Amino acid sequence: MNKVIKSLVALALAGGVTMTAQASPEQDRAAFVKYYKDRFPEVPMEEYPNGVYAIDKVGRENWEAIEEFPPYEPFIDSGQEMWEKPFANGKTYKDCFPDGPAIAAKYPHWDKKKGMVVTLPLALNECRKANGEKPLKYKKGPINDLLAYIAYESRGQKIDVKIPEDDPRALEAYEKGKKFYFTRRGQLNFSCASCHLQNAGMRVRTEILSPSLGHVTHWPTYRSKWGTVGTLHRRFTGCNKNIRAKPFKAQGEQYRNLEYFLTYMSNGLKLNGPGSRK
Amino acid sequence: MMRIDKTMTGVALALALMLGGGVAMAAGTDAKAADPKAAEAAKVIEHAEMARKRAASVDGEWRDTAKFIKKARALAKEGKYDAAIKLAKKAKRQGELGYEQAVSQEKLRIPSYFQSYYSD
Amino acid sequence: MTRSNTKLALAAGILAVMAGQLAVVPGAAAEGNSALEEGKKLAFSRKKGNCLACHMIEGGTSPGNVGPPLIAMKARYPDRAKLRAQIWDASQANPDTAMVLFGRYQVLTEKEIDKVVDFIWSL
Repeated sequence: MNKVIKSLVALALAGGVTMTAQASPEQDRAAFVKYYKDRFPEVPMEEYPNGVYAIDKVGRENWEAIEEFPPYEPFIDSGQEMWEKPFANGKTYKDCFPDGPAIAAKYPHWDKKKGMVVTLPLALNECRKANGEKPLKYKKGPINDLLAYIAYESRGQKIDVKIPEDDPRALEAYEKGKKFYFTRRGQLNFSCASCHLQNAGMRVRTEILSPSLGHVTHWPTYRSKWGTVGTLHRRFTGCNKNIRAKPFKAQGEQYRNLEYFLTYMSNGLKLNGPGSRK
Repeated sequence: MMRIDKTMTGVALALALMLGGGVAMAAGTDAKAADPKAAEAAKVIEHAEMARKRAASVDGEWRDTAKFIKKARALAKEGKYDAAIKLAKKAKRQGELGYEQAVSQEKLRIPSYFQSYYSD
Repeated sequence: MTRSNTKLALAAGILAVMAGQLAVVPGAAAEGNSALEEGKKLAFSRKKGNCLACHMIEGGTSPGNVGPPLIAMKARYPDRAKLRAQIWDASQANPDTAMVLFGRYQVLTEKEIDKVVDFIWSL
């Protein structure tokens, strides 16, 4: 009898595992939102774009003081210059992005022709290459200026990532991003979820672990630790190094898919980049 | 006389140095070729590199593995074979562990702390 | 005469043993303390155990709170081997653990783990 019950329980559990592993993106997002609501019942949804400062009262005061004279402001200005300055061939970014510069909410998206997730930095470099300009580096440097300007102009736009159903590869890319998020890696054996889902709000030494909801709304970000603005993929790289995993290439498939998944999880939140963090 | 003596001594010294250097160099080369540890170090380093690549092929490479291999190569070059072997073995083990870590998670498993949030 | 001689010898022997113990005991205690100190160093070091990243430990500054405070460890782990197993590979007891697999993933050597276990068990 006991054995029968045990195997039934095992079956049910296995069923549960398969079910959640194969949940739809919308089911994933609903579970995410429910999880954080449960964990931080006093935090309203619209606070999550503020990252750790949505849950860290002391840190928030310092942050608000910093935001009065935002350290990323000069980068926005220089980004605007970049945006407006014609390429050698006389064309500008506007020729590539007629709706620009407020285009951040269009990214990341699935590109059926390319068969891959296209992020904003990738699209910017595509535009440069098409106009005979050298591509920019993806972690540090001037791409951040351009991104800061676009982010600033896009403030208030709602994240609305879609997984188009007419191309199964889109869902595949999303699933890969989700798998990345839950996969433990590095010598320290952490997944993104270990820190930012399971232990969001807890402290590692004095650092409070930020929730994943809202992780993608505020890039590029000026980090005091960096002394400058950096991209989301630079941050991914740093996270992977922290857990003693070899980081992946910025704008490589792994990080683009992760961004696709993470941004989908934040659907409905408002963009508030560029950001500033400790 | 004194002057010639000095020059002679200088020439003799130079000769001795050259010869000595030559001998030492030859001995060094011989020792390298004959030292069974040199071959062992080369083998262990090669195995470590294979293990690292295998881990990388499943996105499971750890942060410091390539650094350890690089350092092991440098140590072997300096003739510090024991240290090179020790470090290469460590790198090899990291490669194996990183591979196992990735492969053991081939199938996505939603952790228990998150499972229940999928109900209703 | 023979008797008292034997007695004397016995007494001398006992005295000698006691003196020997006196000499040995403080030495062993010092050794134990320095081993505990080594364990503490390993536990507190950011590059080694870094236990403070997640656990409150008496005497450690700015601890995290991802894991439970390390107190009353002998009560929580009457069996030292169980504590060692937890530090060596916490995923055996809980596959969803957020604890580093210090032994299995060779973050610490076996010797280092023994020292850390001794220290943690003393808390």
